[in-house]
Amino acid sequence: MKHDYKKIGLKSGLEIHQQLDTHKLFCSCPSILRQDKPQYEIQRTLNPVIGETGEIDTAVAHEASQNKNFIYQVYDTNCLVELDEEPPHTINQEATKITLQIAHLLNCKIFPVTQVMRKTVIDGSNTSGFQRTALIAHDGYVEISSGKKIAIDYLMLEEDSARKVTDHRPATCDLQPATCDLRPIFKLDRLGIPLVEITTGPHLHSPDEIKEAALKIGEILRACKVKRGIGTIRQDVNISIKDSKRVEIKGFQNPKMMQKTIDIEITRQQKCIKEKSCKNEVRNALPDGTTEFLRPMPGAARMYPETDHPLLKITRDLINETKKNLPKLASENTSYLQKFGLNPELIKLILKQNKLEDFKTLTHEHNNPNLIAKMLTLFQSKKEKISTDKLEEILEKISKKEIHETDVKTIMQKISQGISLKEAMEKPSIDLKSEAQKILKEKPGLTQGAYMGLIMGKFNGQVSGKEVMEVLRELCS
Amino acid sequence: MKTKTFQPGDKIKIQTKSKSWEGYILQSHDPEIILLKLKSGYNIGLRESEILDATIIKSTDKRNNTKLVSQRNDLQLPKVAIVITGGTISSRLDPKSGGVIPTDKGEILNIAPDLKKICNPIIVNPFTKFSENMSYKDWKAITETCKKFIEDKTISGIIITHGTDFLHYTAAALAFFIQNLNKPIALTYSQRSIDRASTDAALNLLCAAKYATSDIAEIALIGHETTSDDTCIAMPATKVRKMHTSKRDAFKIINDSPIARITKDNIKILKEFNARNNNTPKFDTKFEEKVTLIKIHPGQDPSIIDFYQSQGYKGIILEVTGIGQVPTKDAKFNWLPKIKKAISSGMTICATAQTINGRLNPNVYTAGRDLQKTGIIFLKDMLSETALIKLSWVLGHKQWNKKKKMLEKISNEFNDKIIK
Repeated sequence: MKHDYKKIGLKSGLEIHQQLDTHKLFCSCPSILRQDKPQYEIQRTLNPVIGETGEIDTAVAHEASQNKNFIYQVYDTNCLVELDEEPPHTINQEATKITLQIAHLLNCKIFPVTQVMRKTVIDGSNTSGFQRTALIAHDGYVEISSGKKIAIDYLMLEEDSARKVTDHRPATCDLQPATCDLRPIFKLDRLGIPLVEITTGPHLHSPDEIKEAALKIGEILRACKVKRGIGTIRQDVNISIKDSKRVEIKGFQNPKMMQKTIDIEITRQQKCIKEKSCKNEVRNALPDGTTEFLRPMPGAARMYPETDHPLLKITRDLINETKKNLPKLASENTSYLQKFGLNPELIKLILKQNKLEDFKTLTHEHNNPNLIAKMLTLFQSKKEKISTDKLEEILEKISKKEIHETDVKTIMQKISQGISLKEAMEKPSIDLKSEAQKILKEKPGLTQGAYMGLIMGKFNGQVSGKEVMEVLRELCS
Repeated sequence: MKTKTFQPGDKIKIQTKSKSWEGYILQSHDPEIILLKLKSGYNIGLRESEILDATIIKSTDKRNNTKLVSQRNDLQLPKVAIVITGGTISSRLDPKSGGVIPTDKGEILNIAPDLKKICNPIIVNPFTKFSENMSYKDWKAITETCKKFIEDKTISGIIITHGTDFLHYTAAALAFFIQNLNKPIALTYSQRSIDRASTDAALNLLCAAKYATSDIAEIALIGHETTSDDTCIAMPATKVRKMHTSKRDAFKIINDSPIARITKDNIKILKEFNARNNNTPKFDTKFEEKVTLIKIHPGQDPSIIDFYQSQGYKGIILEVTGIGQVPTKDAKFNWLPKIKKAISSGMTICATAQTINGRLNPNVYTAGRDLQKTGIIFLKDMLSETALIKLSWVLGHKQWNKKKKMLEKISNEFNDKIIK
């Protein structure tokens, strides 16, 4: 069920949450997810509190009408900060630097001063009753393949929430409702992992654009020190069509479902326009592409300053330092390697095997990019890798014409078997001509290519194809 | 300075080279930085030097718009006086300044609306102070506020909310100032501020209300038993100490055991207690403020005693080592002669244990026996903080026999049977 996105006035934006690969944001606990049994459990109550504007936020009021009591599972990789028993430590410097790098790569402007805020969340996912979050940068952009610039509105650094272990009502509850423990259970392992939140402007006008923007931002994030794997990146989509209200869809498990989910949501919004029942709300993406109501859209009343942390000053020195050492994107690296005339497979291998820096080092001295690329990837044995210094030595000998390029693969194979470079360079005392004559006599009438294969097979690695070719040409002519 | 005339709370529009910002001005302690609350709720800072233009959209609204809980008091429930004195339990963030300010006294009911299901609260606020700024004058003021409610037969009990740092000193002071008590007095606190959903004040207040409506006519500190929000314990006022900088269960009973375990629905008595009665309590706030507490450490010079004497001090609580020693003739400084001299010239010096837990016994080592010969008073298992308050109170009574009174059990400050 596709829609005419232009006609219905689709406005959409992305919210991307990416975990950073460092220790926790406000304490030095490791960012490790645990599958084993917790050390102990604690019980806490979260009460609705009045925001600094003197009102209870609508989203908070909704959460307050749900559960108030929660169980938290505590591990030995947690400390009192995650337990809400100790004030936050100074914000993680490494996480701040990574966030600034991401801000630079997204062409954002960085705030000179910002404040860590408390975003009230009382669904139990934070022991404190709030999520700590700070606005770091604003007004950047990414360019997608059509050449369109997608606006990045804001970039935040925040702490991840606690993981819900179970939300399911135990079967015994129906039998003995009075004794039933309905308190939701959370693990504290994920709470506090640094998270970067990126919000785009509402300028994405088709599911394709949404997907492309998501992929581009994803590529930028992966160039930086971020966590990889399932659950380390989460995408939310904000959607509205003409005459409806903005809806945030959270919890996409599979990015491939985005298009279907968006189309179903558009249909839902078209229905709510007719029924005059559209609301600003947060909805949860379900595996079949439909969504379910999660909570009302939160407002500004849920935010107030983290009084236990000083103002965060981002100095010009820090901005310059992070700008100087920016990582390159995979696409930039590809086009860099393309300039050397390498074929796409070799480029992929270099990037996949993380050989870009070695490639740069070796091509700096030796103008033989294709051979260097092969030496770094294809010619390397799987077991014993030859060091870049050794490769440099081989390249040196090639430039002095002591080694022929066609012998490099053979020589490298010998070195990886433990033979010294000097010995590997020595030609084997094989009388290629008489050996070839022998084979020609044994199996007469084959093609030149077939003889080539037989000889190469017999002297595996000890002779070069070029030499065999020359001998065969002489004998067969 | 384009923003000089702006007041915190003003809604303003700021133009910088790159962008136009709208938001509310917050108090900034750096003149170079303008702090702004954006519509999204986030606070950010802009450099004054980068601001091209700034205009007020709407001036600050001075009205306090905090909505109070409108739930009515249930007049059938027992009346409980809530004496608010300050501390984290009655501080909140000021959105306009960004700083922490005292709450409106009624706001305490917002944290624990269920309080009105337990009692009919009457709130008074004699003063507002962080507990680290409190001393004798404040304990006297609290006693006077309590006196009114103790003598009022319609009041079931009293809850005193207080900062945590010096709370155990206040508890000890009230335990000596108010005697022959006829109704419960609960002291309570919070370690997490009341503007956050996770505040421990909610459970502490409900449990304090349970205690204040119980039959236990004793002064107790009511607070979290563990890190969980399920149970509180009633801790004897003279046997309790703040043992953690930040945890909910920061207060621990030392050398004693809890009076009761309390949940928001239930109170379970754990030992014998002084029951609610029709006695006429006695109020005695005489006090000698020239008393100090010294913790002995390695290499310390006992001349500190001379200093306090020269300043007119009348008493010293000496936190001695181990089971009851001070450094003697083999140490860099021998404390015995100075202690002896000070006592013979009229100073009262008492010994408490710097180990916090356990009881002193001067008979175990020669050093202890030698220390006893100086005339020092060994205060057995009494807490140093309680001892400081008690000595001040005893020395406030010129006619009393100092040693006899210090060793007399007045308010459960001694426990003959330590079990852990």
